[in-house]
Amino acid sequence: MTTTQGRTTPWQRRRRVGYAFIAPVFLFLCAVVVVPLLHALWTSLHRVRGLNATFVGLQNYARVLADDAFWHSLAVSLEFTGLCVALHMILGLALALLLHELRFARTALRIAFLTPWMLAPAVGATIWLWLLEPQFGVVNYLLQAAGLLSAPLAWLGTPGLAFASVVTVDVWRGMPFVMLLMLAGLQTIPREQYEAAAMDGALAWQRFRHVTLPNLRYLLVVSSTLDIINTIRHYDIIGVMTAGGPAGATEVLPVLLYNTAFRGNRFGEAAAIGVLLLLIVLAFSIFHIRLTKPEQGGAAA
Amino acid sequence: MSRRAQPADALRWAATLGALAIVVFPLYWMLNTSLKPATEIFLSPPTFASRNWSLDAYATVLNQRPVGRYFLNSLVVALGTTVLSVTLAAFAAYGFTRFFPRGATPFIVFLLFTKMLPETLLIVPYFQLMSDLGLLDTYAALILAYSSFALPFSVWMLIGFFRSIPRDIDEAAMIDGASYLQAFVRVILPLARPGLVAVALFTFLIAWNSYVWALVLTTDSSMYVLSVGIANMVGEYRVQWNELMAAAVIAALPVMVLYSLLERHLVDAITSGAVKG
Repeated sequence: MTTTQGRTTPWQRRRRVGYAFIAPVFLFLCAVVVVPLLHALWTSLHRVRGLNATFVGLQNYARVLADDAFWHSLAVSLEFTGLCVALHMILGLALALLLHELRFARTALRIAFLTPWMLAPAVGATIWLWLLEPQFGVVNYLLQAAGLLSAPLAWLGTPGLAFASVVTVDVWRGMPFVMLLMLAGLQTIPREQYEAAAMDGALAWQRFRHVTLPNLRYLLVVSSTLDIINTIRHYDIIGVMTAGGPAGATEVLPVLLYNTAFRGNRFGEAAAIGVLLLLIVLAFSIFHIRLTKPEQGGAAA
Repeated sequence: MSRRAQPADALRWAATLGALAIVVFPLYWMLNTSLKPATEIFLSPPTFASRNWSLDAYATVLNQRPVGRYFLNSLVVALGTTVLSVTLAAFAAYGFTRFFPRGATPFIVFLLFTKMLPETLLIVPYFQLMSDLGLLDTYAALILAYSSFALPFSVWMLIGFFRSIPRDIDEAAMIDGASYLQAFVRVILPLARPGLVAVALFTFLIAWNSYVWALVLTTDSSMYVLSVGIANMVGEYRVQWNELMAAAVIAALPVMVLYSLLERHLVDAITSGAVKG
């Protein structure tokens, strides 16, 4: 369609106009994202004391990598992310399968199930602080009334329970959105495939295994990669509920970063932790981008 | 469609409603607590529905605690972020869908990259830069910071909406003598209005729900946004849970109403068609 004769082809002119439309966003993003990012890199190479900054090379990185707290935090992060994402996917898909077959009230139910995801995570976490309150919290009451507990537990006061609690809250918040994605995915599976399977005498489990799962495979991979990216960098829930405690049991990398910077006042090390976290996120992002090929109009979010 | 077993349907409903009860219970408990008088909060066993329900906690929170102020701050910051992001995003989405039909890969990858940055990494330089500039505790600092995550999101969503407007339409306008800018402002923007409204609402919600940026960039409690104000109330005085839950309801209600209205756009907007594959 485009001819390449002449000095400026219509195509080249069009491109220039296109750049003019994109330029404001590009420049603005440079100002609000790239400059702060470069500043973080700079900070990670300096020791910052008030207004004084001295160049220290890779010392901050060396210090972070030599610190057990970092490796512990990395392990907590991986456990937290792995567990949360697996539960988001399994429970989200299970709920979607339940809702998909219902014949009425589906929109209302979808919205009702989605409410935990709608709230600000920090506000959701605050609600859970009250639910899990050791003396008067309703969770202890309900579990005791049901005979599952003999004495109230300090949910956020012991390492194992605190970890389980923050996972629960994150799953409560993150699972509904996966449900919504899976419901949309289920709608794209042609009915005929199920009918053919039924005709072959496939049982419910076999239909799920041989029709539903293969059809949802791409969606499951894309949404779990995205979920990993979002969960591993999430601060709010743990920041509000435990701030990383007790004894570091819930100190995921973003919380370690926050605590290092804003409680420990060690900005250089915090920035180094941030860069390391960025590298982890980046690995998953590259995988995600390759998978979805956004430049070809594919999907990513 | 062959439907046979009724018991299976009943089982399905039972499982669905059971799951729903667990998922929404925390929200019911928020509402229930917010309606109780202070004396009833520490009753054991707790009351699941009370004859003493009242709006007293809401009145206290709005009159004696700065929750009204937090609400205003959230509103200003979220609106400012939305106007700034959506305006800039509209230009970029138009430019991207009209002039780079084969894709401007570097721009898109850059956009995705900015969307995936860990916010805790960026709050460190933001805190340093804003305190150097003397901009801590200002709306400007919050709006700029929020734009760093809202803008890539708005551009990304708008690209999806703009793609659905046929390009013949603006080409027809240009044959009639309109410039690119005129075609954009007079023809495309009006057509894109439903998409712009949806994206604006999403951007608003993302800004409204954000927490850690404002936590770091505000130190004066009169500048707290709702999420920060509420989370800080837990530690501040002897916690009045009914008041705290009333504040949580105030923060949650607008969000729930807006999201419910937007529900049918949600999957498309957030995944840009990932599902349809």
